[in-house]
Amino acid sequence: MFQISPQLGSQLVDLCAALLLLTCFAIVAQRRLSACVDLFALQSVFLAATAALVAFLTGIHHIYVAAALTVVIKAVVLPRILKKVIERLNVSRELQMNINVPAGLLVCGTLVILAFYITQPIIPLGFLLTRDSLAIALAIILIGFFTMIARKKAVTQVVGFLVMENGLFLGATAAAYGMPLIVELGVFFDVLVAGLIIGIYTHRIQDAFDSVDTSKLTVLKE
Amino acid sequence: MAWPLLVLIAMPDLAGLGSLWSRDRRLAEALQCGQAGILVSAALLVVERVATEGQASVDPFLRADAMSAWMDLILGAVGGTGTLYAVGYMGEELDRGRVSLRRYRQFFCLFDLYLAAMLAAVNVENVAIMWIAVEGSTLSAALLIGFERTKAALEAGWKYVILSSVGIALALFGTILVYYSSEHVLGVTSEALRWSELYRVAESLDPAAIKAAFVFVLIGYGTKAGVAPMHTWLPDAHAEAPTPVSAMLSANMLAVAVYAILRFKAVVDRTVGSSFSGTLMVGLGLLSVAIAAVLLLVQRDYKRLFAYSSIEHIGIALIGFGLGGAGVFAALWHLLNHALAKSAAFYASGLVLLRHEHKMLERVPGLLRQMPLAGGAILVAGVALSGMPPFGLFISEVLIAIGAYAATPGVAYGLLSLLTLAFATLLYQVLRMALGEPLEAGMALGSRNQTFMSAAIWLNLAALCTIGLQIPARCGTLLGAIAPFFGGTMEAP
Repeated sequence: MFQISPQLGSQLVDLCAALLLLTCFAIVAQRRLSACVDLFALQSVFLAATAALVAFLTGIHHIYVAAALTVVIKAVVLPRILKKVIERLNVSRELQMNINVPAGLLVCGTLVILAFYITQPIIPLGFLLTRDSLAIALAIILIGFFTMIARKKAVTQVVGFLVMENGLFLGATAAAYGMPLIVELGVFFDVLVAGLIIGIYTHRIQDAFDSVDTSKLTVLKE
Repeated sequence: MAWPLLVLIAMPDLAGLGSLWSRDRRLAEALQCGQAGILVSAALLVVERVATEGQASVDPFLRADAMSAWMDLILGAVGGTGTLYAVGYMGEELDRGRVSLRRYRQFFCLFDLYLAAMLAAVNVENVAIMWIAVEGSTLSAALLIGFERTKAALEAGWKYVILSSVGIALALFGTILVYYSSEHVLGVTSEALRWSELYRVAESLDPAAIKAAFVFVLIGYGTKAGVAPMHTWLPDAHAEAPTPVSAMLSANMLAVAVYAILRFKAVVDRTVGSSFSGTLMVGLGLLSVAIAAVLLLVQRDYKRLFAYSSIEHIGIALIGFGLGGAGVFAALWHLLNHALAKSAAFYASGLVLLRHEHKMLERVPGLLRQMPLAGGAILVAGVALSGMPPFGLFISEVLIAIGAYAATPGVAYGLLSLLTLAFATLLYQVLRMALGEPLEAGMALGSRNQTFMSAAIWLNLAALCTIGLQIPARCGTLLGAIAPFFGGTMEAP
């Protein structure tokens, strides 16, 4: 068994969290849908690495379970479902967006600053090892939210939602060394079901509207 | 052993799975009717036990205190009549060949799981498991809203799924922040997520973290409660969902979301005082009432009309909770009466929808003459919802207005003028439907299906009128027991 000094451990966790944030920016900048899904899978792998690192450094074993579930559900199962949807729908690129890529990246930069500003007063409360990740977690949540607003295709909105979930999971790991195991299992179950339901909806919308462009959903007003 | 509590949550699960499994329509009907009866009686038993013994619990997961029992009463009563109504409504859809028997069984499975998730949410002791249950109800509701698979239903379902998922994600972040601050006091255990422990140590939690957590929770669960400006999914979902689902969304789910906000409010108030959460809730409540009051006037679709009225009433309840004191009492009373009146209104609109097969308000005048029960129910529920005596909503609205006047007269003036506007517009629209000469003949309903639906309407109206005239003793006890929870004492008037 080898030991890692707390400073180095903290640095490593921060590095992983920063990689997570970086993949967020890559998703915002990417127009190809399947690449977005790949980037999301990559982000989930970084997330699992962060969780495993925290589990190793703190010796809290149930976080390993959460890390394993992240790899299985978010890096393998959900990306597969999404890829199948993309294949069946025959849409590969997002040509029109509500906000173009450079402006989107600028907005995301602002969101990161905002996240650090919001979490600044509560960060000193956290554990030394992981507390800086809380700000990054909030930044990822906000960027996921922004992706859902900025994109029109149903599939990318789903990716935005899943990115938000990744941010939440990083937040739970960072802020609290993970939630109790039963909570984590419940959350994973819910995320999986949410992914399935959104997948079902995407199919039905495609069948009914001949498009997954959500800007065509305009029957209901007021 | 608090078996009524267990029965209350287990019954819908069993009935739902049973309906999915049963090959026969009559068996599914019998299961659902049994569920309706058991839901109501189990809810009353829970209320009885909590009113006499203070709480009912199944350690360590379930614990019903006065607040939970109050929600059990709302969910049990309206869930019971809702199930009965759904048997008639979906039976009619089945007879007309709009749904297959397979889809019929799927509907009841989803419907019952939805009820079970909400009942679990208000009785669990763990903050995060409450979140999981609320998310469970969101997901089952998402499938129910899009159940009819028309373009409009899919659009409404999609909006609901996306907005609620975002909302519920923000609520989870708020929950994580609460855990973040509570584990410093209680240590890294699941104890740090128990409501009773949180209330015990609330005063030593970190104020900045709890404030931030409450803002996320309010926005997150507020989205599910249909609070403006996060309400945009609500009218679409209520209008396009099958009518029994619309009634359950409006009467139950909004109340469950408000319950979640209230639980967090009780923690925040102990940590930083009640003015922080109070101001936010009164502000959002006023905005909701304002938006709903204006938009009530322009509605051409009668289900959307009642949907906007739900936004208004949830806004009023939020204002009451935000004011504290007697406002809390009034708002709780408001939630119960709103649930009964609004579900009756939706049940009646469902009858009209089945008969005329469209939702256009101006084409269904003369309902009193054409469909006496539906027309009468829309009229009575409409009068109750616009806040006229002798119904409970009148009492609660007056109490909330008085509370607002005592706190800040400006809020009271604003609230009263908005209430007057909403009163006039809702009553105008309801009278347009109830009075006059019928325009179209429409389709007749099967008499057997009609019986189920009429029974649900009668039960709701009877309950609404009874509690409007006098507050039952048990309800008074429960409301009295909830008051200290928000740091006030109050007498049931």
